Amino acid sequence: GFPVPVLAHSPSRPRLPSLTRFCARPRRRYLLCELVSEDPRCRACLEERVLFGLVRDAIARVHGAFGAAACAVAFTVKYLNAYTGVVLLRCRKEFYQLLWSALPFITYLENKGQRYACFFNTLHVGGTIRTCQKFLIQYNRRQLLILLHNCPDGEERESIKKSVMSCSLEEPQEDQLSGGGSEEDATEME
Amino acid sequence: MRSPSYLPCTLLGRRRLEGVEPAALGPEGLWLCRGTPALEMSNAREKKHAKKMRNQPTNVTLSSGFGAVDERGVKHHNGNEKSFQYQKQESHSGAPQHQQPKSTHVPSEPCMNEQPCKSQCRGEKGKGQAGWRGGHQGAAREIPKYITASTFAQARAAEVNAMLKAVTQKSSNSLVFQTLPRHMRRRAMSHNVKRLPRRLREIAQKEAEKTEHQKKEHSKNKCRKARRCHLNLLLEFNRRQKKNVWLETHIWHAKRFHMVKKWGYCLGESPTVKSYRASYRAMTKHCLLQDLSYYCCLELNGKEEEILKALARMCSIDTGLTFAAVHCLSGKRQGSLVLYRADKYPEEMLGPITFIWKPEGGTSTTPVNRKLWLWTHPTLKQDILTELKLVCQCVQPPEAAASIPEVVLTPHEEKSHIKQTENCKKRKRESDGEKNTNPVKKIVGDGTRNPFQPYSWTSSTTGIVVSDFTMEMNRYRLIGPLSHSILTEALKTASVYTEVEDAETVPHSWWVEACKNPDSVSVHHRQEAFFELLGGIASPAEFPAGTVLGLTVGDPRVNLPQKKAKALPSLEKCQDNEKVRQLRLEGVPVECAHSFIWNQDICKSVTENKISEKELNQMRSELMVPGSQLNLGHRESKIPILLIQQPGKVTGEDRLGWGSGWDVLLPKGWGMAFWIPFIYRGARVGGLKEALIHSRYKGAPSIPDDFPDCPAGILFAREQENNLLEKYKRHPPAKRPNYVKHGTLSPFRCPWGQLTRDWESRITTRAESLVSPSCSWANVKSDPGREDLCVVEDEQESKLSCEAETLKDKPGEPEEMMDTDSPGAAVAGDTTGEGVCGNDSGGTKGTFCVLRSRKLLKLLAAWCHPVARRNRVAIQASRMYQQQELTRATCLPILRDYPRSLVWVSLSLLKKGNPELHTMICIPSKDDILLLNEDRLYGGPQESRHSDPFKAKARKQKEKKTEKEQKQGGQHCAIVCAEGTPGLWPGSLPDITGHCSRTLLGFVTQGDFSLAAGCGEALGFVSLTGLLEMLLSQPADKRGLVLLRTPASLQYRFARIIIDI
Repeated sequence: GFPVPVLAHSPSRPRLPSLTRFCARPRRRYLLCELVSEDPRCRACLEERVLFGLVRDAIARVHGAFGAAACAVAFTVKYLNAYTGVVLLRCRKEFYQLLWSALPFITYLENKGQRYACFFNTLHVGGTIRTCQKFLIQYNRRQLLILLHNCPDGEERESIKKSVMSCSLEEPQEDQLSGGGSEEDATEME
Repeated sequence: MRSPSYLPCTLLGRRRLEGVEPAALGPEGLWLCRGTPALEMSNAREKKHAKKMRNQPTNVTLSSGFGAVDERGVKHHNGNEKSFQYQKQESHSGAPQHQQPKSTHVPSEPCMNEQPCKSQCRGEKGKGQAGWRGGHQGAAREIPKYITASTFAQARAAEVNAMLKAVTQKSSNSLVFQTLPRHMRRRAMSHNVKRLPRRLREIAQKEAEKTEHQKKEHSKNKCRKARRCHLNLLLEFNRRQKKNVWLETHIWHAKRFHMVKKWGYCLGESPTVKSYRASYRAMTKHCLLQDLSYYCCLELNGKEEEILKALARMCSIDTGLTFAAVHCLSGKRQGSLVLYRADKYPEEMLGPITFIWKPEGGTSTTPVNRKLWLWTHPTLKQDILTELKLVCQCVQPPEAAASIPEVVLTPHEEKSHIKQTENCKKRKRESDGEKNTNPVKKIVGDGTRNPFQPYSWTSSTTGIVVSDFTMEMNRYRLIGPLSHSILTEALKTASVYTEVEDAETVPHSWWVEACKNPDSVSVHHRQEAFFELLGGIASPAEFPAGTVLGLTVGDPRVNLPQKKAKALPSLEKCQDNEKVRQLRLEGVPVECAHSFIWNQDICKSVTENKISEKELNQMRSELMVPGSQLNLGHRESKIPILLIQQPGKVTGEDRLGWGSGWDVLLPKGWGMAFWIPFIYRGARVGGLKEALIHSRYKGAPSIPDDFPDCPAGILFAREQENNLLEKYKRHPPAKRPNYVKHGTLSPFRCPWGQLTRDWESRITTRAESLVSPSCSWANVKSDPGREDLCVVEDEQESKLSCEAETLKDKPGEPEEMMDTDSPGAAVAGDTTGEGVCGNDSGGTKGTFCVLRSRKLLKLLAAWCHPVARRNRVAIQASRMYQQQELTRATCLPILRDYPRSLVWVSLSLLKKGNPELHTMICIPSKDDILLLNEDRLYGGPQESRHSDPFKAKARKQKEKKTEKEQKQGGQHCAIVCAEGTPGLWPGSLPDITGHCSRTLLGFVTQGDFSLAAGCGEALGFVSLTGLLEMLLSQPADKRGLVLLRTPASLQYRFARIIIDI
């Protein structure tokens, strides 16, 4: 048993799903978030299991036993990228607001006795994985373009250009391009 | 540390991270396979899931060299271990226990280290997301806060690529159009690519091509209308009957029956409508019609004595009347018998036949050539024919082809067919041109006949000509009491020409000739009179068995009724006058058995001069009063036919005469002309299945199922076993009976040979074991039957008595043998035991035979009756035949003469139970009979469940193999399963008689619930040795009680054995 402080400003309790819903396809919500941390080692700790426990605890802390149970039904980490810090969480549609509202209360990542400060930034809430994936593509492209736009340095600009090109072109060419890019990078770094 | 101001502020923190971590992941290591819960899923499901997820992005973590993380990683990456390891090695930095110190410590190395790695990863998957490798591991370690925008960008780019792949590429197992939302779907999308959105067309095209190969090749170029045009249809039909012979009623049957290809023919198995009960009712109360034209006719033509002499070698007086029976020889009756290989009786049976002699020409006194027709089943024909040729010493075919008209006819015909079909395929016009010159003829008779093969063989020494008349005649069988009224209504005897005409001008010259002869006219009138009398007789069973009546009838199509109606016996005809009584008693006199159908030339001309259906319809349409009777006058065909009475149930006590009827023999070409009128008179048509039911209710063995000792029967049993085994294998092991556990050694065949052999060895081993002086007569006195035996023994030689004694103890009661003894008998036992053995080994060649000796069967039939019933029925019979009592002594000579024999028995169940094919017939134990005595409702004992040692063995083997070859995949399981079918006894069978708790006696070959008797009834064979053993051991009032157990059940049911003669 853990102490469950129920916050006063917790969102209004959502309606329970009607039974007829279960006969059809179960509805879900997908939360596309990114992990932001000052400490680089934080990323090393980012794992599915750790993240799962973290979010679950946060919900329990914020919304109590009811919230934890409501979110636990279909809750999984569908996708996770430690390099970019992108995380895709799944939750039942009826209770995704509980999860959403609990995310800001995660302030640190703890793994193997190490503890790093971080926070989650929700990018998108979608009904399918596919829409989230589409959004992520758009989002990443935008990020890359901003990066390209702001980069004055010749070398770096080149490499960024390469990677931007790599992800916007067709598959076979893209392979060549990205391969060439990495080679150039290697030489460049020396 | 640089803090570049050009980065978007949200990325600030991260940018630093990117710099620190050099992202030294392998290209594939980045997008790791998402770990599927492999342990829980079956192989196929796993595959399907993997296929579905193949395009989805997987989690990317920095496996930082911590032990726990590694382990987890390994667990998730069963398939992708290599790349993972690679990743692990290459993965950066922070880990203290890094496995490749070189790459981290030596700054100059990375470059060298990198190249092979890169090539390796290219080789692995070739997807080339090598951009991940920042290539500055050394720097990363030393300057942790160094940042590059490029790594950041690369990470993003890789992610975008992965997502793009996931979003754009179809990953599900569905077709392309199925991925579309419903509102975008269109009709016929699956085969018309252009209905799809343009972006999906390419993929859909590929899919369509893939499925195209699996599709059946489209049929020929002709449209349906062209195919159905009469000429092409005829050609097609002719082509299709080249391989399997079609009966003349084939098209009619094909529309209404399940057709099977059997014995070189296309035959109707059973009607497509529900008709099990209806056809039984038709057999008992109305009329069932069957087309038996596939039965083969063999003709023997020669001097009577010569034929009789030759055929006497092939049959035995023991089995009943032979070819020389008086009634049959005169041509008055049809006879039936069983043929054996020459001089081989009672072994090497060839098959059952029926035969008719052609009646002698009334006035001629000189011994002329006589004709004999043998009717056989097609499976038996070849064996019988070769044996006949051997017996009659026929070698070369006669050059006179006139005896068989088709030999001349066919070559011309066939050639034209072939030409026609070829032409038609190529060009229609050409065939049109040729059509005028030689029109295509419908194949009448045997379409598969090779014109150059002889169908007639003559003998120079005996002068006998053997000819094969297969498909030269039609044979229809009418079963049931209404067959009389159907016959009399459908057929009208031909009118006699009174005015003398020129024979050349009219088409039916033979009839004109016949009409000129006053003798034949008077015969015709007598036949007509008898035929008229038929209508007044209630059932065909009232005639003597096998009565033959020849007739010449007019075209039956002329007086076809407008509507189908049931023919009923007319009351005014049912007069019980002197003539009818005479007919019932003596049947038709010999003169009336004469028919022109025996004359081949007449048959040929009748076939050729048939008015076609088209012409007939044309004439009908030209009638002044539509629907009135058509009068063809002299153009009407006269068809010679032969009516043969078929006896129904001739054996047993009840339902005698059930299923009797008439066979109608017609010249070929006239099949449909007679078929339709019969049906319009209310006959119901049955197929092969109905024929089987008919023979079962008659208690007669069906051909070739119930002749296990003839070659055709052996072949049939083998085919049946294969079919049943295949059917059995189609079920998964959990959904089919495990016959090993049921104690059923051979559920799909009857191992007759082994059964008889086992019984023989059972007797001989007991004889040998009983040589020791401890054998007993303990229970002799308790049994009244055995007291008789003692008396007999005293009188007879010691040898016999000893044999009797050795044979005495039945298998079920081995305790009884160890008791006090009679020394005299035991002393003599030594020699006789050997004597029996010697006799056996000399007497047989290791094969079994079916007991067909009527005398012995009668004896057995009487013994099988319980005493109470025997008093009433069989005692008279026993007096008549001076029948012996059932004792050891009387059994001995039988056993000596027939050591490995089977007896045909019919079984009727006492209470519950529904016997099936291959039901086991077993001997009840003493307790079973006691229990039955006490409780009249006692259902029967149960077999205890057997263990299945093979299952455990197979499982062990399987486990071993799977352990060994786990890496190679799951295909080996299937191989193991295929080796031996689980649930069946593998390899050779052990002693089948003693395998279960009740001793096995025989098997059922036909069994079902009998609609006639209202209880389960079965027919089958039992071992003669076993039967005698059982009868001897049973109390007199319970004789003939056996137990039946179906192969997939443990429950025994009581039944009574009846041997019908």
